[in-house]
Amino acid sequence: MHLPGTTTPTDDDRVSTVAPSPTGPRIDLDGVGRSYRIGANTVTALADVDLHIGEGEFVVILGPSGSGKTTLLNLIGALDRPTAGRIRVTGVDLTDATSRRRTAFRRKGVSFVFQSFNLFPGLTAAENIRFGADVARRPDPEHRTADAAAAVGLTERLDHFPHQLSGGEQQRVAIARAIATGNPVILADEPTGELDVVTGVQILRVLEAQARSGMTVLVVTHNREISRIADRVIELSSGRIVADGPPAGGRIDLADLQW
Amino acid sequence: MFWLRWSWRDLRHHWIALVVISLVIAIGTGVYAGLSNTSTWRLLSYDSSYATTRLHDLRIAAAPGAFVETGRLRAVVDSIPSADAVEQATERLVVASQLAVGDEILVTARIIGGTLDATAVDRVVALDGDVPVPDSGAAVLETKFAEYHDLPTSGEVTVAGAETVPYTGLGVGPEEFFITTPEGTVMAEADLATLYLHLDDAQRITGHADLVNEVVLTVGDDSGIGAIADELRAAAAALPDAGLTVTDVSDVDAHRILYEDIDNDQQFFTMFAVLVLAAAALASFTLVNRIVAAQRREIGIGMAIGVGRRHLAIRPLAIGTAIAVLGVIAGLGAGWLMARAMQGLLEDVLPLPDYRTPFQIGPFARAAALGVAIPMAASAWPVWRAVSVEPIEAIRVGHLTIRGRSRLTGRHLRLPVSSIAMVPVRQILRAPWRAGITATGVGIAIAALVSVFGMLDSFTAAIDVADADITRGGRDRVIVQLTETMPLGDPRITAIDAVPAVGTIDPGLRLPATVVGDDGAPTVDLLIDAYDVDSAVWTPVGDGGAATDGLVISRKAADDLDVAVGDRIALRHPALTADGVTVVESTVAVIALHDNPVRALAYLDDSVAAGLFGASGVTNLLSVMPAPGATGDQVERALFGADGLTSTFPVARMSEAVDEALSTFTGFLLIIAGAVVGLAGLIAVNASRIAVEERRREHATMRAFGLPVRTIVMTLIAEGAIIGVAATGIGLGLGALLLDWLLGSLADRTLQEFSITRRIAMSTVGLAMSTGLAAVTLAPLLLIARLRRMDLPSTLRVME
Repeated sequence: MHLPGTTTPTDDDRVSTVAPSPTGPRIDLDGVGRSYRIGANTVTALADVDLHIGEGEFVVILGPSGSGKTTLLNLIGALDRPTAGRIRVTGVDLTDATSRRRTAFRRKGVSFVFQSFNLFPGLTAAENIRFGADVARRPDPEHRTADAAAAVGLTERLDHFPHQLSGGEQQRVAIARAIATGNPVILADEPTGELDVVTGVQILRVLEAQARSGMTVLVVTHNREISRIADRVIELSSGRIVADGPPAGGRIDLADLQW
Repeated sequence: MFWLRWSWRDLRHHWIALVVISLVIAIGTGVYAGLSNTSTWRLLSYDSSYATTRLHDLRIAAAPGAFVETGRLRAVVDSIPSADAVEQATERLVVASQLAVGDEILVTARIIGGTLDATAVDRVVALDGDVPVPDSGAAVLETKFAEYHDLPTSGEVTVAGAETVPYTGLGVGPEEFFITTPEGTVMAEADLATLYLHLDDAQRITGHADLVNEVVLTVGDDSGIGAIADELRAAAAALPDAGLTVTDVSDVDAHRILYEDIDNDQQFFTMFAVLVLAAAALASFTLVNRIVAAQRREIGIGMAIGVGRRHLAIRPLAIGTAIAVLGVIAGLGAGWLMARAMQGLLEDVLPLPDYRTPFQIGPFARAAALGVAIPMAASAWPVWRAVSVEPIEAIRVGHLTIRGRSRLTGRHLRLPVSSIAMVPVRQILRAPWRAGITATGVGIAIAALVSVFGMLDSFTAAIDVADADITRGGRDRVIVQLTETMPLGDPRITAIDAVPAVGTIDPGLRLPATVVGDDGAPTVDLLIDAYDVDSAVWTPVGDGGAATDGLVISRKAADDLDVAVGDRIALRHPALTADGVTVVESTVAVIALHDNPVRALAYLDDSVAAGLFGASGVTNLLSVMPAPGATGDQVERALFGADGLTSTFPVARMSEAVDEALSTFTGFLLIIAGAVVGLAGLIAVNASRIAVEERRREHATMRAFGLPVRTIVMTLIAEGAIIGVAATGIGLGLGALLLDWLLGSLADRTLQEFSITRRIAMSTVGLAMSTGLAAVTLAPLLLIARLRRMDLPSTLRVME
C-alpha cells in the first residue's frame, strides 16, 4: 500500500511539471465555449470567451445565476472540458488534455476555494491545510501548513475538526489549504456566499493578500458590491463576457465594503 | 401518491444497495432456516428407517465363541410366561471373520445369518440390487463398505476359509445404519464388511451347521419390555453353557449414537446458524441504517414545514419494506438450497432405507420473521431518532454526516504521515461505532468459519497424537486380535509365528476393567493391554516411571478421575480364580500418564498383569512386526484365513482412515465457507458502496485538488484493511471461544472417551485472515469506475 507523501514521482508528475509561464498571461482563453446536450436540445453555458489574466491579478467574475461564471471557473480549473476554443493555464494546454493530465494539472497548477468550504470532516483543521501541501507534494509540509495557517490568521484551533469551527474559520482553513498547495492560481467560487459581511470581508482580505503576493486569484460572485474590491471585473451574461475592466464606479477599499 | 412516488424514486436510486443488503439477509436467514431442519429430518428418518427394518426390542446373545442348536434360543423365548407379548423373534448366527475382495481389499468381517427374510426382526433392506433367495448361497453386502471401496452392486467376495460368496445387492440392517467397531467409529465402514445371508447359507459358509448364537425379538407393548427381559434372563438359565445375556436397544451402538448425535449435531448447526444470522443482522441493520440516515435532514425539513410524522416515515420505511420483502424471498430460496445441501449430506453420510425430509414450516417462518424484523427495525430507528429532535437540529449540515462526536476522535492524534495517509485512520475514528459494527459483522462470520475449521483441526491434532503414539517403533506393525485367550504355546500362535512375512511377535493380553471411586466418584472404563515391557517392540511412553510396577493410564483418565502419578486406584476387572473367571476388585498404583487421547487405553507389564488377572503365559492379542523386507499389508494378507484370529489391523491404517473420514466433512465445510465468504464479501462491498456514496463530496474535493482516483481507492483500501484486521481479530478470538465451548460441550456429552484440546491450525488462521482482509480491502476496487464517473462540478456544488 502506498499513499501520497510517501511515494516516488509517477507519470502524473512528469507530465505535470507546471511552472508559471515566465512570459505572457497565466490564464489564456481563446474563443472558448461550453455547451451541453440535454435530450435533443443543446444548451450553451459559455460562448466565444476570450480571456487573458496575468500574474498577481485579483479578478472578480461577476454575473447573475446561470450566466456561466462557474462554468468558466470549472474550465480554468480543469474540472470540465471546453466544447470550443483553446485554454492554457500556467503554460499547460488544457484544451484536449487527458483526464490524467488534467488531474496532474489540478495538483500543481490551481487550487480551489468553495462556497460551502468542502473541508474534509474527518481531518483536523491542520490536517485539512496540510492536505494541500501533501497533494501537491511540496517539501516540508509541516512548515507550509504553519505558514498557510498564519497567512489566513488562523493560529489557534488548528487541532479542531471542521464542525467545531465557525463558518468564517472553516473558509479560512479552506483558503489556507489552497495556499498550502503553493499553486500559482486560486479559484474561489462564491467564497463569501455562506458568510456574514464582517466575516466575508475578512475572507476577501485574505484572498486579496494572496494576489498581492503574486498569486493569480479569481473570485466568482453574483454580488456586484464585492466586485468593487477587484483589480479587474469580468462580467458575464448568458454565457458571454459583456464587460471586462476595472470595477464600475472605481475600486474601493475593503474597509469600505458593505453589502 | 406523492409520498409513494417519492419512495419509488428512492428505491430506484438505491436499487443495487437494496439487492445487496437483501442478499446479506438472505444468507443469514437462509442458513438459519436450512440448518434448523436437520434434527427434525433426522428424527423422522431414523424412526421411519428403524420401523422399516423392525429393529429388535430385546436380544438374547450367547457368550463369545458359544453356539446353540437352531431352535433352542427360540424355545427360550417361547418358554417365558409372557411369550404371547412377543410379536416376532428371529434366530441369527453372527460370526466374526475376515473378508477379501480381489487382491486389494482385506478387512474384518461380520457374517450375519437370518436377516434376509421379509418378516425377520432386524431385517436387511437392499438399497441397490436384490435380496437373494434362500439356499442360493448368495449374500447382501453392507452398502457403506461397498461405497467406500467402490464395489459394484453385485459381485463376489472371499470369506476366511477360502469360501467365495456371491452377493446380489448392497443393503443395510438397522445395526449398521452407523458402523461401529471395537476400535471406534472412525472409518469403520471401510474396515468392517458386513455380509448378510439367509441363516442356512451363513451356517454352511461359516462352518456352523445348524447353530445360532442370537435371537432378536420385538415386543408389542413397549411398556412391557423390562418385565419380558427379566423373564428372558430367568429362562436363559436353562442353557447355562451358552452364557446367555439379554440386552435391549440401548446396547445397539448405532441406535444410541444416531439419536444422541441428533441433539449434538443440531447444537453445532444451530450455533453456526445463529452466528451467520447475527453477522447478517448486524450488517444489514447498519447498512439499512446508513441509507436511511442520509434522509434525516430531509425529515428535519419536513418537520420544519409541518409534515406529519406518519408521512415522514413513509420513505424510510419503504426502503425497509423493500429490503424485507426481497430479503425474505431470497432468504427462503437460500434456505431451500441450504436444506437441499444438508439433505444431500445426510444421504451421503447415512445409508438409511427411508429418508423423511418434509418442508419445515417453523424454521422458515422464524427466519422469515427475522428477515422482516431486521430491515424494518433498521429503517425505523433513524426515523425515530430524526423525529425525536427539534427540526432545526435535524436540518443542520452535521446531521447528514457523522460528526465525530465520539471521544475516540483523536483530535490531538498526530502521526508522522501525510494528511492523505491519515484519512483512513481519521475515517475510522470519525465513526468508530460504525467501523466497529462492520468489523463485528464480518468478525462473527469469520468466527463461524474458525470454530468449524478449528474443530476439524482439533480432531486432526488429537488423531495425530494417537497416530504418533501407536505407530511409534514402526508403521508396519500389525495388531492381531485372537478369537480367544490362549496359551503362548498354542499351535495356532506357533502357526502364525511360522508365516514367512511375520517377524517378531509380542504376545499381549487385553482385558477390560473399570476404575471405581468412592461413593459418587466417577467411574472410568479401561482397556488394559499387558505386555512384557522389557522386550516388547512397542511400549507406552508417558510421564512417570517405567510400567513395571503399576498402571500407565491416559492423562484424560487421570484428569477425569482426579488422580496423579503415585496415587492408587481401585480396579474392578475379570480374574481367573479357583471358581473360574470372576469379577474382582484390586488396587493398583498409577505409575505414569500417557498422552494418547483415547481415555480407555491403559498399560501394564505382564508380570503385574499375571498377579492382577491370575493369568500368566496366555495371550489374546498379538503385536506383530513384519519380517525384514515384508510390509504390514503383506503380513495382513499372509494371515488371512489363519486359524485362531478374528482381525488384523495395521497400525498405520489409522491415520489413513482418519484422513478419509475427515474428507467426508468437505461438503459441509464448503457450504460453511461459501456462506461465510459470501456474507463477508457482501457486507464489505455494501459498506464500501455506502461509504463512497456518503463521502462523494469529499472524494470530489480530493479529485479537484488533483488526487488520483487510485489514491482515493488506496485510502478506502487502507481503511478496509484496518477494519479487516479488527474483524479477523474478532473472528479468531470469538472463534477460539466458541471452539472451546463446542469442544467442552462435546466432551461432556459425546466425547467423554477422548481428550480433544483446542487447536487452530495456521491454515485456519490464514483462511480467517484472507477472508477478513480480502473481503473488506478488495471491495473498494469494485468502486473505481464509480469514482471515475463522478461528475466533479455538480458534486462539488452540492449545497447542504
